[in-house]
Amino acid sequence: MFGTVLIANRGEIAVRVLRACRELGIRTVAVHSTEDRDSAVVRMADRSVQIGPAPARQSYLNAAAIIEAARQTGAEAVHPGYGFLSENPDFAEVCEASGLTFIGPPAEVIATLGDKTAARAAMSAAGLPLLPGSIEPLVDVEGAARLAGEIGYPVIIKAAAGGGGRGMSIVEDPSEFSRAYQQTRGTAQTLFGDGRVYVERYLASARHVEIQILCDGYGNAIHLGERDCSVQRRHQKLVEETPAPGLPAELTARMGEVAVRGALATGYLGAGTFEFIVDTENNFYFMEVNCRIQVEHPVTEAVTGVDLITEQIRIAAGERLTLTQDDVRPRGVAIECRVNVEDPTRNFAPTPGVLEQFVPPGGPFLRVDTHGYAGYRVPAAYDSLLAKVIAWAPDRAQAIARMRRALGEFTIEGPGIRTTAQFLDRVLRDPLFAEAKHDTSLVARILEADAQAT
Amino acid sequence: MSSYRVPRALQNGFDEHPDHEVIELRHNGLDEVLAAVRQTAVELLAAAPQSPSTLTVRAGTVAVEMTWETAAAATTVPGAVLAPPVAATIDAGGGNILAASTVGVFYRSASPGAAPFVKEGDHVVPGQQVAIIEAMKLMLPVEADRPGEVVEILVADGESVEFGQPLFRLAAVEA
Repeated sequence: MFGTVLIANRGEIAVRVLRACRELGIRTVAVHSTEDRDSAVVRMADRSVQIGPAPARQSYLNAAAIIEAARQTGAEAVHPGYGFLSENPDFAEVCEASGLTFIGPPAEVIATLGDKTAARAAMSAAGLPLLPGSIEPLVDVEGAARLAGEIGYPVIIKAAAGGGGRGMSIVEDPSEFSRAYQQTRGTAQTLFGDGRVYVERYLASARHVEIQILCDGYGNAIHLGERDCSVQRRHQKLVEETPAPGLPAELTARMGEVAVRGALATGYLGAGTFEFIVDTENNFYFMEVNCRIQVEHPVTEAVTGVDLITEQIRIAAGERLTLTQDDVRPRGVAIECRVNVEDPTRNFAPTPGVLEQFVPPGGPFLRVDTHGYAGYRVPAAYDSLLAKVIAWAPDRAQAIARMRRALGEFTIEGPGIRTTAQFLDRVLRDPLFAEAKHDTSLVARILEADAQAT
Repeated sequence: MSSYRVPRALQNGFDEHPDHEVIELRHNGLDEVLAAVRQTAVELLAAAPQSPSTLTVRAGTVAVEMTWETAAAATTVPGAVLAPPVAATIDAGGGNILAASTVGVFYRSASPGAAPFVKEGDHVVPGQQVAIIEAMKLMLPVEADRPGEVVEILVADGESVEFGQPLFRLAAVEA
């Protein structure tokens, strides 16, 4: 096991990783920007190193500074958290070249799975179901339009190097295809420096369901069930839950099996997530692999009792998985709500500032992952996620009631500070959500209804 | 000084990897402009016959200005040319403080046993090299960003420094 781990991230996930390390008896090094020098993880860590100014490009994305901080502090491994350098194959490579263990999959696996067309090809070869669409990147607009016609409209054009809901266009009618194709290529080139695009069928009504996997370095791989992340606003998740409500257990078991098969086929290592979409007839299709721990991992932890960060660290240290597939017996229902410092009445604009009051909820079967504290100044330089509230209960109705109780307790106040807590409560009491008849269009419907009501 | 390969990732710098849940660049346009300006500055510095004392790059109406000190041309140290000069321009709050612009190891001289770049009482000019910070085997020159007299050296030779850590205290001098 490692003696010292460097945490190359900030916010709640840095605190989460630190806690796992401390329970494992591992010393921790926090790296931080000037903006984060008073952050919770810096206060808690055994050591901290200031690696750069506020802009992430010069601090949390500054590989040279992070590697140098690891060298100064004698860290043997780097946990990248999510976002920032977590899925950057070059960073994984530099870590290995510098004698540091990158806690994640090997660089070449990240590179393959990070390229959406390469990932589609690999998963197609491993026998995973894909939406009708292109396997190879498209070369010209005529060929692309012909393929779109064969697939059937509506189609979606996506950037091969894309992600985060950016660089994609939905095309309803063949007459719009050529323009949308050129536009998406241009956007992809600008955003990702890579103009390659692919096309697949677009499902207007679909659910986003993902499978958590764990793989060790000895050919053992298991899945830890699914998470339903259908409550999204502009491709940003707001509420996640497990199990996926209303889906047959037999279906999600099959998704778990193919995810494990796909992971083994690519030589995956550590924790990862296979994203699928599920249509109204319960057909599921592979979308992409996320080569990192995810924001919503606590719901899986709540129902399985498995500490996913601890497992990541153990696997990276060369240990074998001690769990078998039979050991994974999910129990009850867990829901996570993301409390962001954003103003829902102003199109979710971020509201950074000082938290004069910060009292997280408590009580039975409730977990709050946060870096917030009373007096903390939420910087404007980073994302708006402030806290994750996770509620567990034996069934879904009780879990929703517990979450609504918790959101009501959460006190966050400060000049100019607004949060998504009330809006999340609005989602939880929506009849479509309560009956689990919602899909990825739920938030848009709620916002539309509220706009008409005023 | 021994040769080595600079990892690809370090030469190019990293691009933001979009994250599905969290990372949303809200100032993409500004970032791109800054990146372009920085890149241009690096290229200009590489092409210049010697390190200029000031360099101005403007994007709006396209202006490039470079000036050289004629009297006290900054000495360039062999082996220190792998990266563009690191101007220590962080105001650490203490007034005339020259601070580290990167995490790394602080060296006062070009090689062990060599004379230090500067000592207490020396007068420095903008652009003059005053130290080296080694980060990932890269020797990054630390240069004065204003004229002044070195009144205190705050870090010992060979010590690890953080970003923004005060290195030198300078006293203002008559221009």
